[in-house]
Amino acid sequence: MSRLISGLFATSCLALLVVMGMFAPEHLAQPDLSMAYASPSELPPFGADNRGRPLLEYAQQGARVVALPSMLGGLVVLFFGTLGGLLACVGSGRAQAAVQGFGEVVGALPRLVVVLVVALLLPQDMRGLTPIALTWALLAAPGAMDEAASVAGRLGGARFVEALRAHGFSRARIYLYHIVALNLRPVVVRQAIETVMQVVFLEIALSYLALSDSQPSFTHNDSVRSWADILYLGYQVILDVETGHALALGLGLVGVVALMSLSVTWAVRAR
Amino acid sequence: MQRWYVRPLVRLIAALLLPAAVPAVITALIWALPGDPAAIICPPEVCSGTEELAKRWNLNDGPVHFFTKWTGDALSGDFGRSWRLQQGAPVAPMLIESIPNTALLVLFSFVPILLGVIGAATRVLPRAADGLLRVLGLPPSVIFALAASAVITIKYGSAAFGDEAERVKLVLGALALGLADAAMAGAVSGVRGLMESERKQRYVRFGILRGEGVLQNTLPNALPAIIGQLRARVLHLLSGAVIVEVVLQINGLGDLLWGGTLYQDFGVVIAAAFGFAVISAALLITQALVEIGVALHVRRAPKAVAS
Repeated sequence: MSRLISGLFATSCLALLVVMGMFAPEHLAQPDLSMAYASPSELPPFGADNRGRPLLEYAQQGARVVALPSMLGGLVVLFFGTLGGLLACVGSGRAQAAVQGFGEVVGALPRLVVVLVVALLLPQDMRGLTPIALTWALLAAPGAMDEAASVAGRLGGARFVEALRAHGFSRARIYLYHIVALNLRPVVVRQAIETVMQVVFLEIALSYLALSDSQPSFTHNDSVRSWADILYLGYQVILDVETGHALALGLGLVGVVALMSLSVTWAVRAR
Repeated sequence: MQRWYVRPLVRLIAALLLPAAVPAVITALIWALPGDPAAIICPPEVCSGTEELAKRWNLNDGPVHFFTKWTGDALSGDFGRSWRLQQGAPVAPMLIESIPNTALLVLFSFVPILLGVIGAATRVLPRAADGLLRVLGLPPSVIFALAASAVITIKYGSAAFGDEAERVKLVLGALALGLADAAMAGAVSGVRGLMESERKQRYVRFGILRGEGVLQNTLPNALPAIIGQLRARVLHLLSGAVIVEVVLQINGLGDLLWGGTLYQDFGVVIAAAFGFAVISAALLITQALVEIGVALHVRRAPKAVAS
């Protein structure tokens, strides 16, 4: 039952993220200074910013910035993790050595350093979260492959495949059902959803840092607001500006993403 | 069957190549970008003397010339000059000033992680703590860093750049870095899982029957994997240090790299990325040396027992 509830919760969060992104306005509403810093009760559901524009639009635009790139990143990690697990079951020493070598090279540097260099080298017209998310996913892939390979190793690797072959199962059924669906699923789905969460948090961090330097973000164009803008606005509460509602919204969005990741992990755990 | 020395040898070779490979790749990519690199510093439409600038900063003879000159100068301690961040200023003093701050930040955040790992390996830290650590590790580093920044702003206000405030920033930054993004939780649960599976091995039970300790038996076999995990954690901390340093305005290597990236200052970015590559290489060498030490230890012939 708890598996079902967590699965439903995670699916709802994911659907909310996608739907919010889909219905995000191209541009924020016109400023209405009479509604500046309006609380959620004055301008439902989330209140307004310093120029009276609804924070709901910020949240929607932020969802649009992160939804697709983060899911793409998750899918890349899902693919590489599954590949790593399957290669471990094939029992090819060369393939495993190649995977290990790939992991050593890719994992040798701090991820954010690589991401920043990639962000720096992206031409202006290619700037966006997608290339950054894909870079992050590639950097996360060796870890997922390694963990999936160790799960496959505990299963017996090539011997497990041979044992099931002796029972008359087809290779497709063994690899796709017994190995991927029954055994690798908890690991690769967890790794994928963690990557989704990390890409969302990475976007917030990069946009926040750019905002604090009054510079354009690497992850979206200037006409779009990210969830970092909500946090940036909310942070002014420590300067006695009435932006507590923005801080609560920003933290709430971060919390929802983190809870979604936890729920997916819980829902797909091994029986 | 792979020989025991292959893996540490590969790590040592990678460690030697890394500090050269990082500037080489960045240099190649600078030239791969559309347009002339000198035009990035001094766009012809807004400033004159682009050719003179290109000559002065070794950008006139292609990527190989730039890379060999930069590497030669770097070996003598000259890391070139800033292109945009502090235009014309030498980068070496910026590196010298920033590396100790980053080192302290990462060291302070690594100490509790190391204690947690030791606690998990020796079972001093109960398994019940894993759940708490996991929940604490859920928020990203930017949220923890913002909380730390709020504390510093409220406590110190305009004096946030005094000596005491700088020390508090380092401590709070280290705390943020150590807890955020499951740094502590991942390290503790990873090492716990590793040690628990090693404890279940038959040789450990035989060791206990011989009157030996559990750690005495498990540690030599688990140590290479633990060191690998700890290296990954330090890399993770270095990655997060960029965010924490910028939010808390700590003058570190991550802050320098961020500034260089934001202002498209390749001079600063190459030097800062080189700094990170040197640290990463040092970590690879440490891991390789531990692996070699453990391999030699476990292969040492036991002393002959007198009959």
